[in-house]
Amino acid sequence: MQETIEKVTKVVKKKRAKFPESYIHDIALAAERHDLDDDELDELVRRVKRAYERAKVEKGEAVGTVAAQSVGEPGTQMTMRTFHYAGVAELNVTLGLPRLIEIVDARKKISTPTMAIYFEDEFKNDEEFVRTIANKIGKSNVNDILQDFHVNFAEMNVVAELDETKIKDKRLDFTDIINRVEKTFKKAQIDNNILSFVPSKSNIRELRLLADKVRDLQISGVKNIGKVVIRKEEDEWVIHTEGSNLGAVLKMEGVDKVRTTTNDIHEVEKVLGIEAARNAIIHEAQRTMDEQGLTVDVRHIMLVADMMTADGSVKSIGRHGISGEKASVLARASFEETGKHLLRASIRGEIDHLTGIIENIIIGQPIPLGTGSVGVVMKHK
Amino acid sequence: MASSKLTRFEKARIIGARALQLSMGATPLVDIPKSLDPIDIATLELKKKVIPLDIRK
Repeated sequence: MQETIEKVTKVVKKKRAKFPESYIHDIALAAERHDLDDDELDELVRRVKRAYERAKVEKGEAVGTVAAQSVGEPGTQMTMRTFHYAGVAELNVTLGLPRLIEIVDARKKISTPTMAIYFEDEFKNDEEFVRTIANKIGKSNVNDILQDFHVNFAEMNVVAELDETKIKDKRLDFTDIINRVEKTFKKAQIDNNILSFVPSKSNIRELRLLADKVRDLQISGVKNIGKVVIRKEEDEWVIHTEGSNLGAVLKMEGVDKVRTTTNDIHEVEKVLGIEAARNAIIHEAQRTMDEQGLTVDVRHIMLVADMMTADGSVKSIGRHGISGEKASVLARASFEETGKHLLRASIRGEIDHLTGIIENIIIGQPIPLGTGSVGVVMKHK
Repeated sequence: MASSKLTRFEKARIIGARALQLSMGATPLVDIPKSLDPIDIATLELKKKVIPLDIRK
């Protein structure tokens, strides 16, 4: 295989074609499958090159408009319905139109952040290990490991009995739990697995508040992550979470840093950088469309993602993002808040260089697009 | 990329500009074909690469 790839690379170079790596790989695969000789390989590369060049857009083409239509039209067919995620029990994920709107709006707080956590090869079939990690990530509080709990009004205290089998089941460490309890409740009395608490003021109100506080004390979990679901996907164990904290999870041992993802684009940007955020936008948008049975060419979505991430931070499409930051006054004014933009521009003495489409339409000139983007000069001889 | 191939927009623009010149009396740089339509003449001129016009980038 490696040999064929090298051979194909050589032929491609000879034909002066510039192919992406995946093309070279595919051609090599085909060459091997059909046992092509040199001439046939030459011909194949030649034809692929021709097809590849034909598929490129010409400069001056209105790619933005085409992308907008190509994403917008299937968008009209999407159902408004958000349904529960099929397959993962009890995990609810925003889908369909609301999710697509969320992506292009670049919301800071998305309605259902979730993560898919994968593991490195040596751990991915180790159920015990995955369960331990899952319990470390997932949120659990004292209430989850109680065997008995009662509020004693006669002696004015709260008694909690911890269930060791439940603790074991959750793969938690007993001393860790005790430490956490002691840290939060300085006055707690601990007798093996029986904890008793006394309120700071001796009245029933305080006692009841204390009881709630004890039960809600979080004893394990990563910040911002709630429920976790462990699922066997094909031949490996995968953790799905409600809530997301990519930074903290990636630091954990055994977690596959390459495949583990979150659907929170801003978090991806913060942890992995802007290129990763671009990929996340593409992936999330396409997944949302796919889920609804709609297919949009990636290149349209890629253009949207490029526009959103081009200047180094994730920007939304709309008033607060791309459209609101256009250089031209007239272009901004034609979108939303016309009066505001014109007034501000006049106060500041802004100059419009009329380089965009909208500006030229407004003043009635041919637009710099397609044929209009070409300038003609006399050849001087 | 220094591709000398014209895009369809460039072709249309050049033929248009040349046809306008021809219609206003410019001398054709090819033997006139059957048709006297300036656009046909301009197209033929483009094919033979004799149009004295350049694309400004």
